[in-house]
Amino acid sequence: MADPMRIRAVARDGVVNVRVLMSHEMETGQRKDASGKLVPAHFIRNVTATHQGKTVLTALWGPAVAKNPYLEFEFKGGQKGEKIIVTWEDNKGDKRSDEGVIN
Amino acid sequence: MSRWNKALCAMALVLAANQAWAQHSGIGRAATPAEIAAWDTDVRGDFKGLPPGSGSVSHGEVVWEAKCASCHGSFGESNQFFPPLIGGVTAEDIRTGRVAGLAKGGEQRSTVMKLSKISTLWDYINRAMPWQAPKTLTADEVYALTAYILHQGNIVPGSFVLSDKNMAEVQARLPNRNGMTRKHGLWETRGKPDVKAVACMRNCGPEPRITSQLPDHAAGSHGDLVEQYRLFGPVRMAALPVASAVPAAAPAVVSDPGRSLADKNGCLACHAPKQRTIGPALAEIASKYRGDSGAESRLVAKVRAGGQGVWGTTPMPPFQNLQEQDLRAMVQWILKAE
Repeated sequence: MADPMRIRAVARDGVVNVRVLMSHEMETGQRKDASGKLVPAHFIRNVTATHQGKTVLTALWGPAVAKNPYLEFEFKGGQKGEKIIVTWEDNKGDKRSDEGVIN
Repeated sequence: MSRWNKALCAMALVLAANQAWAQHSGIGRAATPAEIAAWDTDVRGDFKGLPPGSGSVSHGEVVWEAKCASCHGSFGESNQFFPPLIGGVTAEDIRTGRVAGLAKGGEQRSTVMKLSKISTLWDYINRAMPWQAPKTLTADEVYALTAYILHQGNIVPGSFVLSDKNMAEVQARLPNRNGMTRKHGLWETRGKPDVKAVACMRNCGPEPRITSQLPDHAAGSHGDLVEQYRLFGPVRMAALPVASAVPAAAPAVVSDPGRSLADKNGCLACHAPKQRTIGPALAEIASKYRGDSGAESRLVAKVRAGGQGVWGTTPMPPFQNLQEQDLRAMVQWILKAE
């Protein structure tokens, strides 16, 4: 299981700004190791963010996203104290879900 | 006298300083305890010099968002302007005290990867941060920020409270605590370091002779370093040889009240006169708004509120505590820059 995500969400004027730092290798599948063998691809495919049961963001990612990706987005309608849940799933079927509190 | 001998003499002078002032009346005086205390501000690896205090990760998060995140990123991950503080450390590294990623190479090195003494991190934040207003953090804030960085690096849990009492416990968990060695040179030749620095006190052999130097194009590759000094705080600014760069115009510039206010408030930490550093050069700002009569009021409002996006993604922090007339004088001075 990968390390937890860091999530910070701040509500201002009815808009919630969410910042997420994920911990993931994000191997492209094009790199070779010291012995010349290809390092197998390992990257996040799907990202979803839900707030009060409603999906506020979905993203389809590929191997072009950097290692330990940083994601920032905004959505309307969140209140202080509510939770935002971010989930990712990678090409090997690994999943990780973490939640942050809006403040 | 060679430089070598001068250095030895200087060292001898320091060693003898205590007796010297007593033996030679009329030369100097002993430093007062208050003078020594003002000078002796460092925190050592054995935590001597560390003031009492404590700070939690959650307090650190609040201070971080207000004073640090604009340059270092919310999680210390930002690679936009400074190398990232966080990343590249595994649970295995924390167990062994050697960061595997450093030995393997090919990865960007972050601060938590390289750090071998927790006192260094504390001392650095305490003395040098935030960039535009160093030495403004309280001891408790420095503890809190250190705890926050350690938490982002997965070295301490989110509920952790760092204090002068438990710094040693954290030291024992630092990922690169066993990674520092002095038994190497810049290069290795046949398995040995190329140089070995051992102070020689007697029978030191022939006087060293310079046999090669950097070619001019390499020695000058960074331009005029005086112009690139990191400028902050009223004390250092007063001593800086700003005039040397533009001898003719310098007296007029220095006498401008806007200039001295800009020195005092740390504007020049990020805005150099002619060269873009962290923020745009003053001359760039002036030429962008030349002939724009409304620019002064707009810029005054902008300095107060902070901003981002006009000159790139590095944000400028808000400066809300400036006096209106001071702020106007500074903006007027900036708009005159060439």
